[in-house]
Amino acid sequence: MRSRSIIGIAPLLAPVHVLILSVIVLPSLYVVWLSLNESSFGQAPTFVGLQNYIDVITDPAFRSALWNTVVLVVVAVHIELALGLGMALLFAGGLPFRRFLLVAVLAPYAVSEVIAVVMWRFLFDPDVGPVTLMLQSMGLPILDWSFEPSHAMILIALLTIWLHLPFTFIILYAARLAIPSDLYEAARIDGATAWQAFKRVTLPLLGPAIVVALLFRYIFAFRLFSEVWLLTQGGPARSTEVVAVYLYQEAFSYNAFGTAAATAWIMVLASLLLGAGYVFILRRQVSANANA
Amino acid sequence: MRTRNLLAAIGKTVAVVAMLFWSLFPIVFIVMSSLKPGQDIFAVPPRYVFEPTFEHYVSLWQQWGAFFDGLLNSTIITAGATVIAIAGSTFAGYVYSRNSSRMLDASVLFLIVVRLIPPIVVTLPLFPIVNVLGLNDTHAIMMVLYATFFVSLGTVLMRTFIDQIPRELDEAAEIDGAGRLTVLRRVIVPLAAPGILAVAVFVVVFAWNEYLFAFIFTSTRAKTAPLVISEMIGSIDGVDWGILFAASTVQLAPVLLFVVFMNRYLVAGLTAGATKG
Amino acid sequence: MNDRNIIALSRRGFLGTALGGIAALATQPSWAASKTLNVLSHKVHQTVLGADGGDLLADWKASNDADVFWTTFDSNPLQDRLFREASLGSTDYSVGYMIDNRPTSEIAALFEPLDDYLASDPIEDFQDIAPGLVDGMTVDGKLIGIPVRHATQGLFYNEELLQEAGIDAPPTTLEELVEQARKLTFTSSAGTPVVGMVLASDLAVFPVMFARAFGGDFITGDFQLMPDKDAMVKGLTVLREMFEAGALPRSYATTRNDDQVTWLQQGRAAFTVLPFARNAQLNNPEQSKYPGKIKAVEFPISAELKGKMPMSSIVEAWAMVIPKNAADKDLAWNFIKEVSSKRATLGMALNGNGPVRVSTYAEPDLVAKNPLAEVEAAVLANARGAFPPFPEAARAQGIMLEEVQLAVLGRKPVAEAVDAIVERVTPLMPA
Repeated sequence: MRSRSIIGIAPLLAPVHVLILSVIVLPSLYVVWLSLNESSFGQAPTFVGLQNYIDVITDPAFRSALWNTVVLVVVAVHIELALGLGMALLFAGGLPFRRFLLVAVLAPYAVSEVIAVVMWRFLFDPDVGPVTLMLQSMGLPILDWSFEPSHAMILIALLTIWLHLPFTFIILYAARLAIPSDLYEAARIDGATAWQAFKRVTLPLLGPAIVVALLFRYIFAFRLFSEVWLLTQGGPARSTEVVAVYLYQEAFSYNAFGTAAATAWIMVLASLLLGAGYVFILRRQVSANANA
Repeated sequence: MRTRNLLAAIGKTVAVVAMLFWSLFPIVFIVMSSLKPGQDIFAVPPRYVFEPTFEHYVSLWQQWGAFFDGLLNSTIITAGATVIAIAGSTFAGYVYSRNSSRMLDASVLFLIVVRLIPPIVVTLPLFPIVNVLGLNDTHAIMMVLYATFFVSLGTVLMRTFIDQIPRELDEAAEIDGAGRLTVLRRVIVPLAAPGILAVAVFVVVFAWNEYLFAFIFTSTRAKTAPLVISEMIGSIDGVDWGILFAASTVQLAPVLLFVVFMNRYLVAGLTAGATKG
Repeated sequence: MNDRNIIALSRRGFLGTALGGIAALATQPSWAASKTLNVLSHKVHQTVLGADGGDLLADWKASNDADVFWTTFDSNPLQDRLFREASLGSTDYSVGYMIDNRPTSEIAALFEPLDDYLASDPIEDFQDIAPGLVDGMTVDGKLIGIPVRHATQGLFYNEELLQEAGIDAPPTTLEELVEQARKLTFTSSAGTPVVGMVLASDLAVFPVMFARAFGGDFITGDFQLMPDKDAMVKGLTVLREMFEAGALPRSYATTRNDDQVTWLQQGRAAFTVLPFARNAQLNNPEQSKYPGKIKAVEFPISAELKGKMPMSSIVEAWAMVIPKNAADKDLAWNFIKEVSSKRATLGMALNGNGPVRVSTYAEPDLVAKNPLAEVEAAVLANARGAFPPFPEAARAQGIMLEEVQLAVLGRKPVAEAVDAIVERVTPLMPA
């Protein structure tokens, strides 16, 4: 019986695993080999050990890229979380035209990064951008993103938040809907204020969803590339470069495949580290479900 | 108390308006600008009232035939990737839902870990491999790539959805003498349709919009629409923003409508995908 | 949700997809020719051959029963793609376009030496093609590319804006240029805020031009790094001061090459530095608010050197190459021969290409259509590339631009930035 069932399930599992092995896993391992060699176009690879990793880690440009990535991830993801949470509670509190509003809020999910950059770059154009002009006419300071690196980072963060808020929002909204309404009823009968109900009921029960949303967004925000590349190309003077852009520069501008591969593996390791936290929580949940 | 309610209502309205503005303004603006006559796009201050014109769409049609080829390629690739991802995910999700062993659990964990690898990592080594196989610049390789980056999520999603189908149903079918494939076709697929649609939304949005892989692995025959748009941005002839906005609108409209119509499945998929692995 | 709903949804979705598919199919061109030549180039190389309407290759296509399929990218991604294709087992691309500061020995080895082709099946009057450009494509004694386009940088100005500011002649020294650019940082009668000058910050061309106005350079043809540091300091100081005075846009750090074109066309900038061949586009009445008013002169040298030495402007050249692993090299050579012919060179020049043949400048058609031909020919006589090819050239350019941006934006004193360039680029120089 057992052997028959393995024979029975293998063909059904094969497509997924063959795809993943051949497209993701084996090439990733090949990247390890690349990262231990020095190579470029028309130049045969020579083994250099861990030198590429040392070169990358000691490169000030890499460190500043790493720092920028961390800042962007931390800032953007937490703002997303706050906004997403606020919106989830707003929706859960009951809204007219809920379905329409939900669809409107989801809309940015459908937008390609290329097009999102076209939009935002034009909206915030320092000279003709409609948002810039609006801010100016109201006497507010404009986002001087083409000059101030910190302002450029703000624009990148805005763009990232815009593209990914639907994701964070939906996770939190679904989790909020899953909270049984009698818990709120009970809190109300006990005389709890709205704030107390939020603190005692909503927050603790949303906890796992919040952590999941955070970790997911950390992992995905760490890959951030197109927004930065198409908006500032990492400038002015590489001050807004992120790790994926650094990787791109090494690989595709300087054709230094060894250091590019080393950077790639540093990215993989960082993602796995973040992911370990996620898997840990997930397994705890799975075993909790199993025990329930 | 009355004023407080009023304040709350006002606050809520402001919040809703802000939310709508935030989500829709950039999209509306780009669509609107694509209909503005030539130099009005750059007009200072911007014009919100204007006589709409399709001149940019006409120019797009005349000057950028490649863009429409790109749309066709995007359509073919998106359709293919979706079929592959759905088939793979449904088969594997069914197995994971109905069987359990230490090996299988470990391989689910493996699927989750695979999702953590940033796609940019594999672009470097895949290029020569794809070329040796003679698959460079084909629809097939793009379908495979896009499907692969979603089968892990898709499998976990399908497992979640199939878990909700009572086992008694497939057991009943098996007693009637149905094989695994028959059970899949007759019982699982019809009942797991919302899950299939959820997977479809993810793959369609990803495959339709993706840029990096298309840039590396296609050149002439399989070039997708986002790639052509990026060429428009990079063209040395100076950017014609009107045509760019028109192309962006054409690229955006179908996927936006798709997400609007499929929003239930997107919500279901995002929720299940994140909380169940 | 109920099942009926799902079916209705998917049917609607299916219908939409099918309609889209049919509509897209209808746009597919039908291929009649039996052979296809795949070309990897910049969009501009395709455009100058007159893809819409007057196709310069129509006869060639008919007599060879071949069609040309273009894949176009922006300059840097194009070079990357070309080298990647050429380093594979085989490639579909039989012709690629390469910039003259890219062919190092390693890169050149990926491309077919063309000397034998040239000997057995010669290009029409090959001696006519500027020898300097041919030299640039000769690596380790082998000719690997046939020059097809050059872009010689000139100073473009908006005559109408100059007159508005009471200036009746374009500058003849760098100092005059700076002064005029400052004056032209104003609000024009059209109500548009104007900056004196617009320059892209991602190309070495512009800072190098300013250094050359003082007799300096970045990396010379014989691989000397910054032979005259003072000149570089002076050049960058001028840029820095222009930026401080608002005579360069505040968005300098994100300004790209195509922004220069739109800013000039829109009357948002009075001066810019662009290839002379851009003249037609800048004055195109469909795009420009100032058709016929945008003119060009030689980029001016500093007052201290005026009359003592000629200004050495920057020229960048493109050449057609054949990857060693190409599928159809004979057809590729045939194509190159046709594009290099006198007829095609003139035709492309009329479409805004910088012609590589000396004789083309004397063609009456071009003289009539391109008022800048004479100025350009004079500038070209003293022009040379921004820097020579070497393995780490791209990285060296990146470092230089990073430091230049820091200096221009005022985040680092100019002298310090120049020292940093020397310090950081020295280890990258070829031994």
